[in-house]
Amino acid sequence: MTGAVFVVLLLGGVPIAVVLAMSAIFYIWASDNTLLYDSFAQQMFSGIESYGLLAIPLFMLAGELMNDGGLTRRLVNAARVFVGGFRGGLAYINLLANVFMAAIIGSAASQIAVMSRAMVPEMQKEGYSREFAAATTAAGGLLSPIIPPSMLFVIYGVLAQLPIGDMFLAGIIPGLILSAAFFLIIALIGLRQQFPKGNWMSGGEAGRAILSALPAALIPVAIVGGILGGIATPTESAAIASLIAFVLGAVLYGELKFRNLGRLFARTAVNASLVVFLVAAANVFGWVIIYEAVPQKLAAMLTTITSDPFLFFLIVNASLLLIGMVLDGIAALILVVPILLPIAVNEFGIDPFQFGVVVCLNLVLGLLTPPVGAGLYIASAMSGATPTGIFRALAPFLLSVLVVLILLSWWPALTTALID
Amino acid sequence: GAAGAKEFRLGLITPPPHIWTQAAEAFGADLAEATDGAHSVQVFPARQLGNEAQMLQQLQTGALDMAFLTIAEVSNRVPEFGALYAPYLANDIAHAGRILRDERTQGMLDPLPQEVGVVGLGFGMAGLRQIVSRGEIETAEDLAGLKLRITPFEPIRDFYNAVGAAPTPMPLPDVYDALANGQVDAIDMDAELIWILKYYEHADVVINSDHMMFPMVGLVSARVWSQLSEEERATIAELMARHIDGTIDSYIAKDEEWLAQVEGTGKPFMEVGPDFFGEAISEWEAIWGPKSGTLDMLREVAADTAE
Amino acid sequence: MLKRASRGWARLELALAAALAVAVTLMILANVVTRAAGQAIYWTDEAAIYAMIWMTFLAASASIHDRSAVAVTLVPDMLGEGFRRLFRIAVDVVVLAFALFMAWFCWRWFRPDVLIATGFDTQAFQQETFNFIYAEPTTTLGIPKVWVWLVMPLFTLGLILHALYNLVAGLRGEEPDPVSAA
Ligand code: NA
Ligand code: NA
Repeated sequence: MTGAVFVVLLLGGVPIAVVLAMSAIFYIWASDNTLLYDSFAQQMFSGIESYGLLAIPLFMLAGELMNDGGLTRRLVNAARVFVGGFRGGLAYINLLANVFMAAIIGSAASQIAVMSRAMVPEMQKEGYSREFAAATTAAGGLLSPIIPPSMLFVIYGVLAQLPIGDMFLAGIIPGLILSAAFFLIIALIGLRQQFPKGNWMSGGEAGRAILSALPAALIPVAIVGGILGGIATPTESAAIASLIAFVLGAVLYGELKFRNLGRLFARTAVNASLVVFLVAAANVFGWVIIYEAVPQKLAAMLTTITSDPFLFFLIVNASLLLIGMVLDGIAALILVVPILLPIAVNEFGIDPFQFGVVVCLNLVLGLLTPPVGAGLYIASAMSGATPTGIFRALAPFLLSVLVVLILLSWWPALTTALID
Repeated sequence: GAAGAKEFRLGLITPPPHIWTQAAEAFGADLAEATDGAHSVQVFPARQLGNEAQMLQQLQTGALDMAFLTIAEVSNRVPEFGALYAPYLANDIAHAGRILRDERTQGMLDPLPQEVGVVGLGFGMAGLRQIVSRGEIETAEDLAGLKLRITPFEPIRDFYNAVGAAPTPMPLPDVYDALANGQVDAIDMDAELIWILKYYEHADVVINSDHMMFPMVGLVSARVWSQLSEEERATIAELMARHIDGTIDSYIAKDEEWLAQVEGTGKPFMEVGPDFFGEAISEWEAIWGPKSGTLDMLREVAADTAE
Repeated sequence: MLKRASRGWARLELALAAALAVAVTLMILANVVTRAAGQAIYWTDEAAIYAMIWMTFLAASASIHDRSAVAVTLVPDMLGEGFRRLFRIAVDVVVLAFALFMAWFCWRWFRPDVLIATGFDTQAFQQETFNFIYAEPTTTLGIPKVWVWLVMPLFTLGLILHALYNLVAGLRGEEPDPVSAA
């Protein structure tokens, strides 16, 4: 019955946070545990009383400052130096710039928005199809939540009570594999249809492009290095990245205007609150579900089907792909983790880091699958290509993600090797 | 009359393999057996129902039936309990066990229903407190100015303030991360977790100080308790007390073993006693003696049970 | 009138949220600096977390005014204009119901009636209710936690105001009036 309430409210277009809260309220009433109402508001508050969540507004701030300060543009330009001259050069530039940006930006949706605006018109100018250009950009955006920093990983770490720094480490190898897979896909497509030929920059141009982007490259270095080197927490490294972006954008590049800062912080507060509020509502929902021992019951059911971790993983992958079709990234993550994680860890002995990476990758894939797929629609809005056209061009990329998913499910070391 | 069959919910913060969680599961199994399956216990480990403050609130409303909580949360509300954290109240882990089992100490549980709305059925414990530090430490002065992770409550905070450190309250799940990446410089921790959660890996020195004990208390919601029959209360009280008390034996058996294993890794390891902390101990007593009102009684118990 | 109140309140919420975002950033940066200097301040972590929570609930309430909260609009988008309006009104009703539930939860949690009846004597309050909301300490800030928890009733107040406005505006067929885009 609660399930029905949930689905009706969700599909009716009620804000997801309210859907979660109202489902929890309904469930408490239906299971005759109205005592829980006394703790409801407190539970909602304490669900976000977490140091790790501070990383979310700070990473968003870093992204905003980078865009407004002209850092993003310079990084894209630097990527041009390395792969610009190959046949299909712009496609590779797009991907390489996405890899750079993924080491700075924590969310696929914002990365797709930023990169579509920067790359799709350029690629079209050189003769790529609009659909292929948008699809390459959208696929590149998938790297964002896998290569650290990652908002999805922050939220998973908070929900699973795992160190967020270690969760970030877990994403590095899968992120690189995914990047390699996308490069391969572009190369294969290039073999079948002749991509436009790119141009190498002249020595002087290349030097200037790299020199101009070099300070901006401090940011991924600060983020990834700070976390890897154990110098700063992910939260602190996001704050440091924001500070660097601010100094570069305002002082060095002179593109960041003080009068815009108020609006920039307001945007950061609004965007971060949408995510963090969702976590608060999900915490109440998860609390009620656990109180009613739902995961335990589901676990009992699942364990009668199989006791093999890999088979369990395949079931999870298949279900998440279905969930990902109708729910996007963070919202979906928040729903499934409280239920599935205890089962994966306690019943199947799956490493929680491996599980986290697989689940997150699955759910970012959902960003690009219709009918509900924010990434797909952002790419469409920014490029003018139809969602259907982009989705068709995306198919080979999405298939390669599926292969990577199976690899990651099969081989825990791909996620756990870097965590000591 | 009997309240009928009931599945009690019991919450705690420790993960499934932890000694406390095992004791909770064993208590549940025994209760089911003693009541021929009429009563059972669903254990919620690893903060599934919230942190200790939230669980205590749920005990008060009756949403949660039972919990094994550190004394920390209770002492935030009943200052008398703060004295249980007196530095070097116990000489060693076995002595800590004897202090907690003394009648006079157990008597501290009596006012809980009135003051907090929970019934205390007995004390258990975790190991004695140690310090793990990222930087070299030779004297207590080296701790001054360091950001040192503590369990969030006043008696421990006051102790480290007296030492001159910057005590940083932090829940357990965040500790490994914080120590690994330097959000904190040192942590206050017990031997079990230093060893099992590998906190020593990110340390430059492990200080075996044994400076405080860390009692746990088995609680039942007073609202739920009032709905139980005399017979049910007797059964629950006896079984829960037995399993909580059993954790004391577990730690007496294992605390030294874990420390030896940590030392065996070759990590710099130093053993220190009360002298190491100097004035900090008397400073702490000047605050908590008057505040708790039970410090003299506990000192007396400690003296009577010393060997 | 309702529109002015809702819009003004949303503006205020957003301005506060933006200021809190600045505060969070500065506190975390201060943390890095003071720690590097060996002068760690022990209360900044907790203060930063509470600032983020206030930011979140204030901006979340404003997002109701703006109708910008994350939602699945698949079904309403497939329908014609008439049905879409109907859906929007139904959504507003659900949000208002949630706001009223929150008001009730906050009432049960804070029990202002008992607090007043006991003459703001928190000891007496506790004995009567077994509710320790006014005794709970913050761990490092040295203030009672209830001051921080006050964001929940504040959030609820905003929710009720915005949800009411949305519902009335929806019934009258007015267009949404977002303030964060401004
Ligand atoms: Na990223
Ligand atoms: Na989707």
